[in-house]
Amino acid sequence: MNYPALLPALVLLPLLLAAVTALVPRGSRRTAGAAAASTTGALGIGVVALIGGGSWELALAGWEAPLGITLRADGTSTAFLALVAVVGTAVTVYAAAEPSLAGGPDFWPLWLVLWAGLNGVVVAGDLFTIYVMLELVTIAAVALVALGGRSAASPALRYLFVGVVGSLLFLLAVALVYAETGTLDLPQATAALEPGPVLTSILALTLLGMGTKMALFPLHAWLPVAHPAAPAAVSAVLSALVIKAGVIVLWRIWFGIADGTAAVQVLGVAAGIAGAVAVFWGGAMALRSSRLKPIVAYSTVAQVGYFAIVLSLADGSAAGWSGGVILVLAHGLAKAAMFLAAGTLAFAYGTDRLSRLHGAISHTPMTVAALAIAGISLAGLPPTFGFVAKWQLLVATIEQGEWWWIGVLLLGGLLTFGYTAAMVRATFNRPGDDEVPAPYPVPAILAVVPFILAIASVAFGVFSAGLVDLLAEDPTARGRP
Amino acid sequence: MSLEIGVFDGLLLAGVVLSAVVAVLVPRRTSAVAVFLVFGLLLALLWARLDAPDIALAEAVLGGGVTGALLVDALASKQAEVPRRRSWALATGIIAGIIAFLGMGWVVSRLSEPSGQLPLLVDDHIGGSGAEHPVTAVLLNFRSFDTLLEIAVVMTAVFAATAVSDRSWTRTLSASGELRIIAVVLLPVVSLLAVWMLVAGTTRPGGAFQAGAMVGAGLVIAHLTGTRRTSTRGPWGDALIVLGLVVFILLAFSTAVGGAGWLVLGESWASTAILAVEAVLAVSIGVGLARIFLANRREPGEAR
Amino acid sequence: MTVVDLALIAGPAIVVIGLVGHLLVGDLLRRIVALNVASGGVMMVLLAIAARGEAPDPVPQALVLTGIVIMAAVTGVALALARRVDAVTDESEGR
Repeated sequence: MNYPALLPALVLLPLLLAAVTALVPRGSRRTAGAAAASTTGALGIGVVALIGGGSWELALAGWEAPLGITLRADGTSTAFLALVAVVGTAVTVYAAAEPSLAGGPDFWPLWLVLWAGLNGVVVAGDLFTIYVMLELVTIAAVALVALGGRSAASPALRYLFVGVVGSLLFLLAVALVYAETGTLDLPQATAALEPGPVLTSILALTLLGMGTKMALFPLHAWLPVAHPAAPAAVSAVLSALVIKAGVIVLWRIWFGIADGTAAVQVLGVAAGIAGAVAVFWGGAMALRSSRLKPIVAYSTVAQVGYFAIVLSLADGSAAGWSGGVILVLAHGLAKAAMFLAAGTLAFAYGTDRLSRLHGAISHTPMTVAALAIAGISLAGLPPTFGFVAKWQLLVATIEQGEWWWIGVLLLGGLLTFGYTAAMVRATFNRPGDDEVPAPYPVPAILAVVPFILAIASVAFGVFSAGLVDLLAEDPTARGRP
Repeated sequence: MSLEIGVFDGLLLAGVVLSAVVAVLVPRRTSAVAVFLVFGLLLALLWARLDAPDIALAEAVLGGGVTGALLVDALASKQAEVPRRRSWALATGIIAGIIAFLGMGWVVSRLSEPSGQLPLLVDDHIGGSGAEHPVTAVLLNFRSFDTLLEIAVVMTAVFAATAVSDRSWTRTLSASGELRIIAVVLLPVVSLLAVWMLVAGTTRPGGAFQAGAMVGAGLVIAHLTGTRRTSTRGPWGDALIVLGLVVFILLAFSTAVGGAGWLVLGESWASTAILAVEAVLAVSIGVGLARIFLANRREPGEAR
Repeated sequence: MTVVDLALIAGPAIVVIGLVGHLLVGDLLRRIVALNVASGGVMMVLLAIAARGEAPDPVPQALVLTGIVIMAAVTGVALALARRVDAVTDESEGR
């Protein structure tokens, strides 16, 4: 059996299912959509299991690059695909349980398209294919935000503007790559690009374009508006997965073509500084917020900072690379757990104001536990997945002699701990409290799904040694040949 | 290529840049849209001058036609009072823009000479691709996966615009009988043009996207003039919107399962497959664009 | 200096004009127009790159065709959202 031939199915199956689901009458679309999305999740998990530690490559339409388009999956792709499949399946279960937390029947076709695009960004080996996939992801994600109701239209439009500006900058970078190398295939272009102003500007445009899409400080202002405006299931997907589409594209291109010239180093340091500021700014704003969803959103702004810091850490350092990828996985699981838990609490109390949530810990302890555990993983305390990631980054910091990042890592962890504590404390019962808010009963599934994701963000940390080795062998981890 | 610069080229490029500046700067919505339409027209001329007649056609039909119709239709809404940006923001933006332009200008002047290898590859393999026109061969054979994704983007945009709309367009049809004479004249012409663009696309500039835009234009005219039978608002319209993507994906699956691999077109049937795919793509794009227009449309009573 | 060289310089200029305009303008419809202007600039760069060789390179031309269709789709979604934003703003103004 020729397994790599499964790669296009990761994109085409969910797209086909999206088209079919859109034709199902609105009344029964939830069942059809949930079935279609579960199938997509099963395919993703199956492909991940089959790839294992290997790497796949497939030329489409029978034409090798540069004439045709090639799809590729290496260790990093496998890790991302696994994250998309796990979070995607969890979100599907959650959205199917309570339609109001997903945005109604329009959710399902859009969610399937988004899933197709996310899988596609991960396996695309061609720069223009990446551009089209990013547009697919942007339009689907924007429409999903708009399902958050009338007040979500403005954040959704802002999100669309940001996404399109990012895409145009990236397309300009792609045009320069093609002009310089005559190919759109990423590995071929990587091999052909010579150091010089063209290479530097390709990196700068990609950094700017993807920095916009992943909300890197100071291009982050749209995120704390757009993510909370979306329905809960959508917020989880946006933060856990959609942000990562920008991250993986930036990393692939950066670690593929960055060289040691002074101009590129300046860009790397600039990205690192922006990342460090993001860690503080996002953390501080999260501490100041008085509502759950904005706290979780600002926490994403902070965590994106780490993804930018990886640019200045991971060059030529296997520990930095595997630390970065594991950080993405840990953040994906923890942040999905947090947003879903926040959605559950908002569903039960009709608001996500911290001041209105007291007593939640006895009403739905599992949901609050999910918040707490996910926060501990984000803060990077042992034995969580987040700890493994931060540890790898720490090793890379010391290997590279870049000591000052240690301070950023530690202080960022403290801030994360702080706002997690604030969220959890708000759910405690107040002694002598007469006015306990009367919550709606929470369907068990809405508490179980975030809890399982939070547990996963701890459990994977305990069994992550094999993953670290696998990622360290990735070609990208070794930097420019 | 003998593309030495002449007076016409100079004027054309100056016109493009000038119309871009004015379209962005002019404060009134109506003027901005009008100048933008001029910008699109000048771009189409420039594309023709840059040896890209396909793109010129697409720009005229899609950029000018569809986008133009959407923008003009949006003009009906009241322009909200927006606070003016502070002058320091303006200054920063302009200075950053000038720096970015100078940087980019310097970078493009440092680009290597084109190797010309990929165009040669396209030339070598076009014989068995099923299309005689190189752009069509790239779009529907060599890089057909991107084209499949592109129709997925259009479909998703239709889903998005539909989800965002208030669905008033599903209930009422603004029929204006006196305009029906326009439909009687225009619809056959538009349909003929669409078919011609589709068939011509295999050998000459033109193809599914330009034809699709014509179909869309035809459907919009039909809607505006109240030609009831061409309505694509119901389940039939939904089916036609997803048809292009579904057929393309089914073709991909069948080549993967029963053929030589994903999207590999056999030489003997490639041209038939390409024309068939283009035909369904044109229909889906046309109905899809018309749906986006409808979802955006204000019903007459609603105009402010 | 050929028309191709000139277009290669004018392209980035139009991208910058469009993007700066998009960021500085407040009105939603005008921001959408500015975004379309910027997109036209990117397409100009790609087509100028395609026209550099002996014969026109069909690959960037195909990319531009895809890009134009995507931009038309994006514009449709943006206008649908802008319409909704304007409607919400009108209501909150106490109509």
